[in-house]
Amino acid sequence: MSPEAIIDGLFAGSVYALVALALTIVFQPTRIMNFAQGEAVILGAAVAYQIVALEKLGWAATLGITLVLAAFMGLLMERMIMLPVRLSGSRYAWIIATLAAALIFQSLFNLTYFDVDALRPSPVIDGGFQLAGVTVEWQEALAIVVALAVMAGYDLFLRRSAYGRAIRATAHNTDTSVLMGIPVQRIIVLSFVIGAMITAIAGMLAAPVIFVAPAAGLLFTIKGFTAAVIGGVGSPRGALAGGMLVGLLDTVVRSMVGGSVGNFAVFAALAVILVVFPSGLFGKPMEAH
Amino acid sequence: MTTVESRVTGAARRSVFDSPGYHRARTALLGGLSVIAVAVLVAWPMITDYYSYNASYYNGLVASAAISAILTISLNLSMGYGGMLSMMHSGLQLAGGYATGHLVVHLSGSWLLGIIASVVVGALVALLVLLVSLRAAYLYFGMITLAANLIVIEIGREWEPVTGGIVGISGIAPGSGGEVMSKEAFYYVVLACLALMYVLQRNLVRSGVGRASMAVRESADTASAMGIAPSGAKLLLFGICGGMAGLSGALYALQLGFINPDVGLLDNGIIFFVGLFLGGISTLVGPVIGVGFIAVLVELIKDQARYTTLVLGLLLLTAMMVIPQGIVGTWKASRFGRDRLPELTDEELPEEVPDVVPEVRDVPEGTAALEGTGIVKHFGGVHALDGVDIRIMPGTVHGIIGPNGSGKSTLVSCLTRYHRIDAGEVRIFGAGAPAAAHGVARAGVTRVFQVPHLFERVSVLDNVLTGMRMQEDYSWLGAVLRSPAYRRRDRKERAEARELLAFAGLAGRADWLASSLSHGQKRLLEVVRAVASRPKVLILDEPATGLTSEELDALGRLCRVLRERGLAVVLIEHNVDFVMGLCDELTVLESGKVIERGDPEKVRGSAAVLEAYLGRPDLVEEEAS
Repeated sequence: MSPEAIIDGLFAGSVYALVALALTIVFQPTRIMNFAQGEAVILGAAVAYQIVALEKLGWAATLGITLVLAAFMGLLMERMIMLPVRLSGSRYAWIIATLAAALIFQSLFNLTYFDVDALRPSPVIDGGFQLAGVTVEWQEALAIVVALAVMAGYDLFLRRSAYGRAIRATAHNTDTSVLMGIPVQRIIVLSFVIGAMITAIAGMLAAPVIFVAPAAGLLFTIKGFTAAVIGGVGSPRGALAGGMLVGLLDTVVRSMVGGSVGNFAVFAALAVILVVFPSGLFGKPMEAH
Repeated sequence: MTTVESRVTGAARRSVFDSPGYHRARTALLGGLSVIAVAVLVAWPMITDYYSYNASYYNGLVASAAISAILTISLNLSMGYGGMLSMMHSGLQLAGGYATGHLVVHLSGSWLLGIIASVVVGALVALLVLLVSLRAAYLYFGMITLAANLIVIEIGREWEPVTGGIVGISGIAPGSGGEVMSKEAFYYVVLACLALMYVLQRNLVRSGVGRASMAVRESADTASAMGIAPSGAKLLLFGICGGMAGLSGALYALQLGFINPDVGLLDNGIIFFVGLFLGGISTLVGPVIGVGFIAVLVELIKDQARYTTLVLGLLLLTAMMVIPQGIVGTWKASRFGRDRLPELTDEELPEEVPDVVPEVRDVPEGTAALEGTGIVKHFGGVHALDGVDIRIMPGTVHGIIGPNGSGKSTLVSCLTRYHRIDAGEVRIFGAGAPAAAHGVARAGVTRVFQVPHLFERVSVLDNVLTGMRMQEDYSWLGAVLRSPAYRRRDRKERAEARELLAFAGLAGRADWLASSLSHGQKRLLEVVRAVASRPKVLILDEPATGLTSEELDALGRLCRVLRERGLAVVLIEHNVDFVMGLCDELTVLESGKVIERGDPEKVRGSAAVLEAYLGRPDLVEEEAS
């Protein structure tokens, strides 16, 4: 196992952690595990690929366009998912609706980039630096720093602001929150938008390094979910820890054994963790605090 | 006599869609359509041969749809009837396809052996995944199956000697030795399999096995109270689903001649979800209709095949919004398709107690029916129960009373093993109580919950039948094949259930949906359902809450009958008049301790009880003076 594998793992982990955070954000007020969340990763990667690799417009434009498109995607997802869920009343509604949304976005990406294997733009910052004899690419360092910053920011937002308190209240009980005068519907829409934006940023940062195929959205969702479960759905800190664990496990096993054994390791870990700790590693499951 | 009520039912009867004539015509029409549909399917190769130069293409189209229908039926069983959200059905199909492909191509075995191997592989994979995820909550189960689906695909990509890697296995043909079956003959094999799986689904769902799965789907706790082991019911049903999915995989490989990892992808899997939701989940024929609909749609847009997933996804979302219950469910709920319910007549309550009501005799003198000694239960720092002793004798009505929060319901949950106790011992007729809740029910102790736990979406009769699950001795295979033993048992228990309902005054409502009953009737039905499980000890947790005085009388009557038959009835109640009039013995709890026990007279005069309910009487007097 090389030290580079650990850096790679931390980098991949920060991407999964961001997806896990977004899953949590959407889950808290809606009680929906959004299968379409990973599609925003592809959106970020696709925009980066389109703007940087094809249009050669640079990263500032990419960031702006990504955020705008991701916000739009979040709005769209909220309608695509919450409307059928409310009208259907079936207990499976959420999973079918999110799955349908995921496949719709996936087929859109597939149709647009049918001749592209990997959405790979050039990195934001080329090259790398030496850290204690280990080469770290700037892109990787950037992704890790951004992930940490987003986590910390959201944690602060959740704990310190009035809006954050409202989100936490909604996570506990939607009906009571409505009685308390909290605009639950607005919070739900907002959570979809914020979730999509965070995930799209993850995709944008990941694309230059990780292999992001146009149809890989579901894979990111599942790894993000694994991270969220390991960390205990609900807390940004848990998402961070879980994401890093998943990333390290994936990359390290991959570098040691090779091939797609990394995926095995992650899913096997998910199974083992759920068998031994039915409520996740860190604390209560599905409870938001 | 023209009472208001009869005039109302008269008005309802005037609607054409509720008239017997319309119902007869509808039955005839639907029956005719089904016959025509089956005839067309059977004659399909002849039809295509006559009308088309491309007969094999159109035959293959229908065969593929039939194979998808088999998988969708399996999905319907697991999701619609078992409540297990499986996202690995395309993976199960893939695994089944590999089994047949490997056996037929690499080992040159017979295709029949291949089918058997596929069924076994499918069932094993399903069981393995379920075993891993038994402890996981409902949400996690879906995710675990999704992860399992990806694992199956990964295995397919990597395990080249068996699965052929990314390329897959090709040249799979339904032949043994040198002879290969013609495509046309294989069409009938597929059709026969679909018919078999449909019958399997129908017979399973309508039997006790299906009712047990339904009970677990609705509430694992309620199922346990009726002696149904939730894990066992889940394993059985999901195993069967896995076998069916494996079969569809085998047919898929044999029909198309190849199998590769892409078959397992969720993009393919979505067809089954759309079919299920479009046709109608939890309906017998819904999956078949839904898949047929999609097959036609996909054929119509085949020139734009790359948009298929997009169209299906949009269709799924639209269907969820417009017809949430699917085609079949919406039809059944509409006034054109709804069933006619029998007219309600005023019923005389029968005087005679039906034989179904259990009897407990020959209990050795002095043996308690249910006995708890030194029961301690802490929730964190809260001492819910602090060394409670209770002895409930057979042939008595035993009341447990106490102020709110005194630990009454906790005591019941501890006695019936819904809570793990921290210390103490529970004995049933002198023997140690089993460790699991369903084991306690099997030992003869049944409980009725404080909050109504009916199966609302099935009929009143089915609710009672579910209560009889413990006495059903046939296997699932017997139920599927409708063996003589199964038929006998089924006839008998249906008659018994109707007798019991008549005794409770619910006979006219036997075919109603349980959700359409009034609150009092629901409570009564719950007691009837519990009695149907032939308990020796029946625990009723606040049954009288919200009952009218007539319903209270009916409940009291039932309790007395059970006492005469030698059962022990445990009542947890707030309604003091009801308790005092009915109970032979009382146990009074306060803050997790027994503060008084004895007959109603003794309890009524006890200072400790008065204090618990009213505060210290001496202090009250002081204030008054």
